[in-house]
Amino acid sequence: MRLNGMRGVCGLAALAVAAVLAGGPFPAPAAEPIKVGVPGPLSGPYANAGIDIVNAAKLAADQINAKGGVLGRPLEIVAEDDACDPQTAVQAAQKMIDSGVVAVAGGYCSGAALPELSTLHRRNIPYILDASTNPRLTELGYKDVFRTIGRDDEQGPFAASFIANALHAKRAAVVNDNTTYAKGLADATVAALKKLGVDVVYNNAITPGQLDYSPVLTRIASLNPDVIYFTGYFAEGGLMVKEARELHLKPVFMGGDGNNDPTLLKTAGSAANGMFITCAPLPQFLSGAKTFVDDYTKQFGHGPGPYSAYEYDAIGVLASAIERAKATTPDAINAALAETKDYPGITGDITFNAKGDRAVAVYIVVTVKNDEFAPYMQLNAAGQWVSMQ
Amino acid sequence: MQAFFQFTVEGLTIGGFYALVALGYTMVYGIIRLINFAHGDVFMVGAFIGWTVLVTLAGTHLPIVLALFVALATSLFFSGALGVVIDRVAYQPLLAAPRLSILITALGVSLALENGVLLIYGPGFLTYPHLLGTAGFTIGGVQISYAQTTMFVISLALMFALYLFVHRTFIGTAMRALAVDQDAARLMGIDVERIIQITFFVGSFLAAAAGMMEGLYYTQINFYMGFLLGLRAFTAAVLGGIGNIPGAMAGGLLIGLLESYGAGYISSRWTDVFVFLVLIGVLVVKPTGLFGERVVERM
Repeated sequence: MRLNGMRGVCGLAALAVAAVLAGGPFPAPAAEPIKVGVPGPLSGPYANAGIDIVNAAKLAADQINAKGGVLGRPLEIVAEDDACDPQTAVQAAQKMIDSGVVAVAGGYCSGAALPELSTLHRRNIPYILDASTNPRLTELGYKDVFRTIGRDDEQGPFAASFIANALHAKRAAVVNDNTTYAKGLADATVAALKKLGVDVVYNNAITPGQLDYSPVLTRIASLNPDVIYFTGYFAEGGLMVKEARELHLKPVFMGGDGNNDPTLLKTAGSAANGMFITCAPLPQFLSGAKTFVDDYTKQFGHGPGPYSAYEYDAIGVLASAIERAKATTPDAINAALAETKDYPGITGDITFNAKGDRAVAVYIVVTVKNDEFAPYMQLNAAGQWVSMQ
Repeated sequence: MQAFFQFTVEGLTIGGFYALVALGYTMVYGIIRLINFAHGDVFMVGAFIGWTVLVTLAGTHLPIVLALFVALATSLFFSGALGVVIDRVAYQPLLAAPRLSILITALGVSLALENGVLLIYGPGFLTYPHLLGTAGFTIGGVQISYAQTTMFVISLALMFALYLFVHRTFIGTAMRALAVDQDAARLMGIDVERIIQITFFVGSFLAAAAGMMEGLYYTQINFYMGFLLGLRAFTAAVLGGIGNIPGAMAGGLLIGLLESYGAGYISSRWTDVFVFLVLIGVLVVKPTGLFGERVVERM
């Protein structure tokens, strides 16, 4: 047996030598893969969001590899579970560093992304955020953080403008769930609402993980708002929409982009019809993402999640930066990423500003119609609300 | 005032679920002095078994009422059986061991159940079919849905049935005898192991009923759903006086009401603070809980 094994190894070595001498009839396999870390919640309540993100990263890597990879080397996705939990996130970041990633692109909850980027920053490893929208993440002055999605301090004023100028509401209630993301979005929205002269009658948090939010909804309804804007995540959002309908509440229910998930529709059922969500355009509403949606559906058997397109672009931007940098050292990649200009992504052209944010971030308002998400309104160049239906 | 009554209705709905689960904690504690941390997860397993049966039957032409009945019966029976298996495998061999060993085992069982369900069903949310409508009635401006009323009546009926079972049947008498003195009960010819198993069966049966009702009412289930609810139900059992059956019922409803009034009048961010503050307050004044267990006779 041992002899056989030895002979096998010798044989392989001989073959390899022959291949090199012959000028390499097998070019790619010899190249060592370039590892890219993708953190996200792969367990816990937000796991489906994390899986949609990792799937998009794999799809992007597969397509890049099919075209010959980056610098002649294939991309390899290293997915790590951060469970949307700050402590797990530190470990996830450490595991990615240990496995030798040259860059990281992913993340979902801002609360987990913050410790991740601090851990990665110590090694100057670039981190491209695809879904975490809290402003602080790119305000730390780190030169290795980039973002393919907009910020909450852009989404907040956008939501406020919709409430004031499109819904013509006079009184609004803003509810968050005390997470980094939800609180940031709520603060930005409340500040913008006040500027627009809308009376914020309620601004408080719920305890996530409960099932019954009827008491807090009853309390909000007694203050007679025209709109309830929930800035938390879809699990609680779905329950709240359903319970608000059961209580026959009058205010319009509106959610931030964390509510943008099919689970909300399943939980709330027909109660979700007529609600609004402020978010970055979903892949299915992006004209440039048609092929992406088809490819994704073909490979994974279900449609992409709300952030899949932003993760797909994050991997694409990263690959183009490494190609331009002609190296995989953190500093070279960071410098190349910072120079990204008009990268033709499926979510639009991507240019990073000095902070690493997208120079132009687009938001739209989505509604639920016949138990499905449908585009509703957007701001035109003149700052007016126009219908997308 | 209208808001107050609305909060009360909502608090009682939430409290009904807590009370059903709290009964399991209190019965097991009453008999073998164990805080069964796995109980909240039995509630979760009940919801998942019910979901599986309902979704499987949805493909057939079975009338929905019958499908619901089959799902409920399967879920309650198998969860009850699960309770017995947990007792046999994890607790019975440790009954003579120090209390701490069995307590830690309970935590282990809890983790095993959570991760087992995570492995089989995945981490995402599953959705029950939307069977309960939003229809209801209004009394003086207070919204009460038929679903809410049904849930509450079923909870009360189950609690009443349990009360009768414990106080009017032979097995119930044996259970109470066990709670007073296990050795004496054994000397009187009571099959102690069997009675403990029946206790686990009944407790798990009630938790599964709560689990399925919760699934039908809120529609959203997840492998982690037993944790927060289990914690609050356990608090309810302690508040009412752990080991005491009417105490668990009262404690459950009280926690539900506190949660509702807290969210309505103070802030829903502080729900847990409010609930645990009252718990601490009660325990300081009356360490044995509201219904204070009498030393001679528990349950």
